[in-house]
Amino acid sequence: MEYAIETFSLTKIFSDWWGRAKVYAVDDLNLQVRSNEVFGFLGPNGSGKTTTLKMLLGLLHPTKGRALILGGDGSDPKINARVGFLPEESYLYRYLNARETLDFYGRLFGLPPKLRKMRIEALLDMVGLKAVANRAVGTFSKGMARRIGLAQALINDPDLLILDEPTTGLDPIGTRQIKDLIIKLAKRGKTILLCSHLLADVEDVCDRIAILYGGRIQSQGQVRDLLQQTNKRQITTDAISDATVAKIEQLVRDENAECVVTSPMDKLETFFIRTVTAAQKKAQPTSGAVSTTKIGDFLTQPPAVENILDKLVAAPISPDLSDRGPLTEDVAADTVSKSRPDEQLLSKLAGSSEPGQPGIAGFQEKVETEAVQTPTPESEQVNKDILQRLTGGPADQNEDGQETDNSQAGSSGDA
Amino acid sequence: MHSIWAVATNTIKQALRMKVALVSLLLLIVILPVLGFSATGDETLKGRLQTFVSYSLSLMSLLLCVLTIIISVYTVTSDIEQRQIYTVITKPIRRYQFVLGKLLGVIILDVMLLALFSAVIYTITIYTPSFTNASEAELIQAENEFFTARAALNVPEEDVTEEVLARYEELERRNELPPDETREDIIAELTKRKQLAKRAAEVGRALIWEFDNVKPLAETMFIRFKYDIFPNPPDSQVYSLWLAGDDQYIKYGEQPDTPVYEQSHKHAARTFHEVEFPSDVVPEDGKLAIAFVNIPPNEAPVIFPLDGFEVLYKADSFGANFVRSVFSILLRLIFLACLGLMASTFLSFPVAVLFCLVFFFTATFSGFVTESFGYLSENVGAVYSYTLERVIQLLPQFDKFNPGKFLVPARLLSWSELAKAAVLPPWWGFDGDMVFVKAGLLLLLGLLIFRFREIARITA
Repeated sequence: MEYAIETFSLTKIFSDWWGRAKVYAVDDLNLQVRSNEVFGFLGPNGSGKTTTLKMLLGLLHPTKGRALILGGDGSDPKINARVGFLPEESYLYRYLNARETLDFYGRLFGLPPKLRKMRIEALLDMVGLKAVANRAVGTFSKGMARRIGLAQALINDPDLLILDEPTTGLDPIGTRQIKDLIIKLAKRGKTILLCSHLLADVEDVCDRIAILYGGRIQSQGQVRDLLQQTNKRQITTDAISDATVAKIEQLVRDENAECVVTSPMDKLETFFIRTVTAAQKKAQPTSGAVSTTKIGDFLTQPPAVENILDKLVAAPISPDLSDRGPLTEDVAADTVSKSRPDEQLLSKLAGSSEPGQPGIAGFQEKVETEAVQTPTPESEQVNKDILQRLTGGPADQNEDGQETDNSQAGSSGDA
Repeated sequence: MHSIWAVATNTIKQALRMKVALVSLLLLIVILPVLGFSATGDETLKGRLQTFVSYSLSLMSLLLCVLTIIISVYTVTSDIEQRQIYTVITKPIRRYQFVLGKLLGVIILDVMLLALFSAVIYTITIYTPSFTNASEAELIQAENEFFTARAALNVPEEDVTEEVLARYEELERRNELPPDETREDIIAELTKRKQLAKRAAEVGRALIWEFDNVKPLAETMFIRFKYDIFPNPPDSQVYSLWLAGDDQYIKYGEQPDTPVYEQSHKHAARTFHEVEFPSDVVPEDGKLAIAFVNIPPNEAPVIFPLDGFEVLYKADSFGANFVRSVFSILLRLIFLACLGLMASTFLSFPVAVLFCLVFFFTATFSGFVTESFGYLSENVGAVYSYTLERVIQLLPQFDKFNPGKFLVPARLLSWSELAKAAVLPPWWGFDGDMVFVKAGLLLLLGLLIFRFREIARITA
């Protein structure tokens, strides 16, 4: 298996002015992040997380050892073109406004103007900063700066996303959005390295984690394996009568086991999002970021669209579809507005065909995204949508699907 | 290339939104017109123009030089210190592209500011005559001696070696050599005297300068000269007869086919004056002779100092000369941008600025610096000439190609002169300054440092 990130005895010693070794920031680190997984990189402050990232990206030279990302060197432009990086703070040019900032980064990637423009608008929309897009970034609050920072990391639609404390300074909706985004990107076959000490965030999205302390990995493995309490069982039901509860308690007692029955609590996060969504619906003015649950179209487009088209073309469906050119993004860039109807048509087509068909899952994904984009009147509905999206989605075609489902269950299934 | 361009445009935006650029812009926009009205020089129109052009160009040059240093240093050090570079350098851009992008941005900014300011200066200069109630004579003088670009005919240095040697032998024969002096000293002294004699004219005698291959390039030509006279007459006035024409006529009195200029004048001693004569006195074979006759009521010999005689002709327009002068300022700005970027690849902002300013002022007064070190070196000797002298030679010599030196006396600053300053070396008789080569070396050094340094390590 190819690793998206691999380090070999990676060591960084910070020495003093005379060259004497002072601090082992990273010590003999052997890290393997598989392609298409969400990897949580945890550790207390000063444990060497950020130093590791800087070595991966070529910002620091390792004292010893080697780091490979996407099979190459972190300072190689070819590799950089496929990587998105959000540093521990959004270091932005204060004098540029939000749109100029994204334009600058887009141009560094050499994105053609039309595609750039399309992505910038999609990203601004996604991070909820469209209304303040012409304000200098220097005047932004920390959370708003974080949102722009995230947007710049995504502008090249990266294969590998390296996020250093992505949720610091973000409100719960922004946090939730980033988590949703991470899950979505993972479904599209992207690899994400998430560096954080906010354990709740990591627990919600990560497939595997490594815990770093003193520059060394202390523990590493699947989140499920590390956290599952195999000696306990949990049953969640609808509101059932006390009589039935009594019967269940009796059954459990028959097995000589303990049983606690309560009504499940909403997570504070869920409650918060519900409240703010309600306020937004009343269109109360805000000078800050507008929280949305939108995710940039280009980020949610399924991977390798040609393949799906090929399959659709191969399938016995309406012949006019076969006339259409391949819907790769570069082509779509020229006809941004025009491509919309096509997608909808495709979605319909996809929806009407057999659900188990591989590859079409992506399009169902798309339909559901649209549903979120136009919020349903009741806030309950939004939650249900998200819930459904997270857990009830069609069987994933990728091999990590099982794990992803599981970790997602953690985010919603605390009942 | 797209990434270089992205960094360049970002740099321009940064500089334009920085208050420093704005302040210097305002300063110049306010100061230049004020200078235009307050600069009076020697009260003539020409003097007024000369003062204004000289002051305003120096001021603009100084401000832009300092601005270039500050911006080029700031644009890199702030990226590193405020860490925006983390998100930039991890994009598909090579490190040299980052530095080149910064350089391109600074240069484009310089070109924009330079174009703006020099346009203002040029406009004020051109319209100054219409705002002053200058006399017709002053207008003509300004037109001929300021609003033009004149080249000088090379005054051939007369070879006096043989005469000196003959004189030495004669003295030796007569046994009149001073006993306690070496041969070299005596020869040097004799040469000096002989050359002085060649530039001196007793009352009633003439001095003749001959030129070969003269092509009349303009309608009129100018003799620019300065007299010394000993003893000084009470009114300091020197009477003279100036002749210009076919060398056969001037030397032997043969009747020429071309007209001859012959005019007596009266000028004050020890300041520069100009005498205008028509170009059609130049004969077809291009052998032009010019003669000065020391006439009464002068009572003493007249001597022309070493730089006291020139023949000038109009070679180009004032506008073209002005543009080339601005280019010469751009040359030094490009050098300073390279210098600033080089310094900022390994120094923090204040240190890098200090470093560049020292460099800049040394280069500005390079003539003085070289001279004073040269004086010192008489005592220090070999150590100096193999160490410090080489280092000082690495500095560009901004004062050598100072635009004021050309515009004030309306002297032609030719493209070849510019090329000399930009690329030609100071040796092999080129007398150049290689500013571009020096800038390129600095840039290369900066690129090397930047290529291998750790970006994420912040040097305080």
